[in-house]
Amino acid sequence: MAEDAFESEALSYIDALYRTALRMTRSEADAEDLVQETYIRALRFREQFTPGTNLKAWLFRILTNTFINAYRKRTRQPQTSELDDVDEFSLYRRMSQNTPGSNSSNPEQEFLDGIVSTEVKEALAVLPEKFRTTVLLDVEGFSYKEIAELVGVPIGTVMSRLHRGRKFLQQRLYDLARERGIAALRTSGPRPD
Amino acid sequence: MDCDDCLEKLYAFLDQELGSSERKQVASHLEGCTDCGDNLAFEERFLKVIRDCGTSDVAPAELRRRVAERLRSDVPPTTA
Repeated sequence: MAEDAFESEALSYIDALYRTALRMTRSEADAEDLVQETYIRALRFREQFTPGTNLKAWLFRILTNTFINAYRKRTRQPQTSELDDVDEFSLYRRMSQNTPGSNSSNPEQEFLDGIVSTEVKEALAVLPEKFRTTVLLDVEGFSYKEIAELVGVPIGTVMSRLHRGRKFLQQRLYDLARERGIAALRTSGPRPD
Repeated sequence: MDCDDCLEKLYAFLDQELGSSERKQVASHLEGCTDCGDNLAFEERFLKVIRDCGTSDVAPAELRRRVAERLRSDVPPTTA
């Protein structure tokens, strides 16, 4: 890879690296430091990168390793609980069962339309650490195999973490939607004035 | 393939991670099962919302400028 091609391609991944760092560290200042450190290390060890291979994955490997080594211990971990049954949660089932009492003809669509970006970002940020990195890498478009190599676990573990992570997001967004009181989720009790 | 088998493979199906044989089995079940089809459509739309919202943040301009500058300054001189 020509020198300037390496630089320009590496820079093209800065947005993806930054938002992943932001959700790992939960701090804008730490995320900026982590991204800068990632690029510094990438330049320092660029001879180890094989031109023609996956530069995005290589940069994300540096990012995740740097985070684990330097940031994770001092990162505030979110308060999460009731994870044991999260993989059994099915938002589709929950909404299908609730439909008879709701006043919406399509509660699933109403729920999806009502999700706002800030809620998704909040939900991603509070994902339990054991499957957060896997979900964040999936959001950035990595395959199961790439995630397995980046995180250092078997593909079956990636699938399991992804499943649980997605169910956690559904549960979290469902709870937020209920707090907002969207019509489709008002299945019983008196309707608010 | 029954509904439980189908649901178990739903995410791998949506993520394009199934081999051709399993993919055909799931697709065949989905053709004849409205409930699993609706479930699949919901999960597909849900994942799209997560991806769209989850990838909307961009790096601060000042960070991009600093990194770009570092990348430029690090280019080693061309060797003959």
